[in-house]
Amino acid sequence: MLAKWTAMGAGLDTRPHLLRLGRLFSETVLIQLGEDEYYLVFEKGRLVSVTPGPSRKTPWRFALRTDTQALQAFWQPHPKPGFHDIFGLVKIGHAQIEGDILALVKNLRFFKEFLALGREAGSSA
Amino acid sequence: MSAAIEAITGRYVTVEIGGRPHRLYFEEAGQGRPVLCLHTAGADTRQWRHLLNDTDVTSANRMIAFDMPWHGKSLPPEGFETEEYLLTTASYIDTVLAIADALGLERPVLAGCSMGGRIALQLAALHGDRFSGFIAIEASDFQPAWYDIDWFHRPDAHGGEMGAALVSANISPYAPDAERWNTLWMFMTSGPGVFRGDLSFYTQDDSLIARLDQIDTARAPVHFLVGAYDLTCTPEDAQRTADAIPGATCTVMEELGHFPMSEHPEGFRPFFIDALQRMSAPPGG
Repeated sequence: MLAKWTAMGAGLDTRPHLLRLGRLFSETVLIQLGEDEYYLVFEKGRLVSVTPGPSRKTPWRFALRTDTQALQAFWQPHPKPGFHDIFGLVKIGHAQIEGDILALVKNLRFFKEFLALGREAGSSA
Repeated sequence: MSAAIEAITGRYVTVEIGGRPHRLYFEEAGQGRPVLCLHTAGADTRQWRHLLNDTDVTSANRMIAFDMPWHGKSLPPEGFETEEYLLTTASYIDTVLAIADALGLERPVLAGCSMGGRIALQLAALHGDRFSGFIAIEASDFQPAWYDIDWFHRPDAHGGEMGAALVSANISPYAPDAERWNTLWMFMTSGPGVFRGDLSFYTQDDSLIARLDQIDTARAPVHFLVGAYDLTCTPEDAQRTADAIPGATCTVMEELGHFPMSEHPEGFRPFFIDALQRMSAPPGG
């Protein structure tokens, strides 16, 4: 999965519109997949590092807690209803979003389009 | 070579709502039975343009859509600059009836999506004699908000862009990209505080629940259309509401979301044409 996040980060670098949308986004985001944690550090719309957890010492702005199976379903070209959006995952009980939700909402298009890069970036987890 | 000029025409009419004049924009196309179309929260008549350009629909139906006050090309009322826009059931009902009167529509079919579907059901309960049928699209009795509607009107962020990013959750992955983005553009460009004011009505007024049993489907049919990818009004929400209205019918659209006429026009048109066929015959027809 680490390689997957890295490939998605590389996807940001080749998409000027996402770098423009994310130009004010410099935050650490926690993605939790079951027992696994990944701290994604963004700086001005670029993914500059991904550190596996768990870590109690790493502050994060918001977290998406889900599981690998749900994320793989999300990354299908035509996900089933509920699996097609992060808020859908929350609605059907396959994810939780925690932390500074307003920070997420202010950068929602950027973050959603970053996550959607998983539909094309690199191999599966 | 002739330019591709569409059949849709747009005009303005000034109506009284709550004792105040409002200049409203409306579009129409076609001839025959009048069908009055209501857009969703945070958007405008452009959501309906595909059906207004569909000759299979307009050959027998006079399709009319209007921009709500504060939306699209309709102006807010004079003095808006010091007012907080908050849509209410009463003002929404007054608006729909005022435009129907102003345009001389005799028992039109009322087709509304999302908050437009909600008010269509309120009108079915309270003014059912004024319409010949109701097409309630992505409509339900009540949807409380899981989000803070104040997110969408604040000085440090763009409410329209945040609103668009939020409602994109309700668009089906089967929607063509071009129409997905045309749909989101309307949200991006809505006026400051308008989406929030619409959501105030949509997420806080639950008065319809107690009125559902007043709806007389023998007088005017009620048909629900709901997309499987709609997270805001799920098929379960629409079916629950339809079940509470004796005689109402409901169709689930498997590959569509919350803005079907706008996000996926080709996918939606057969369902809408079917819904029109379920409505009462036009007056004198």
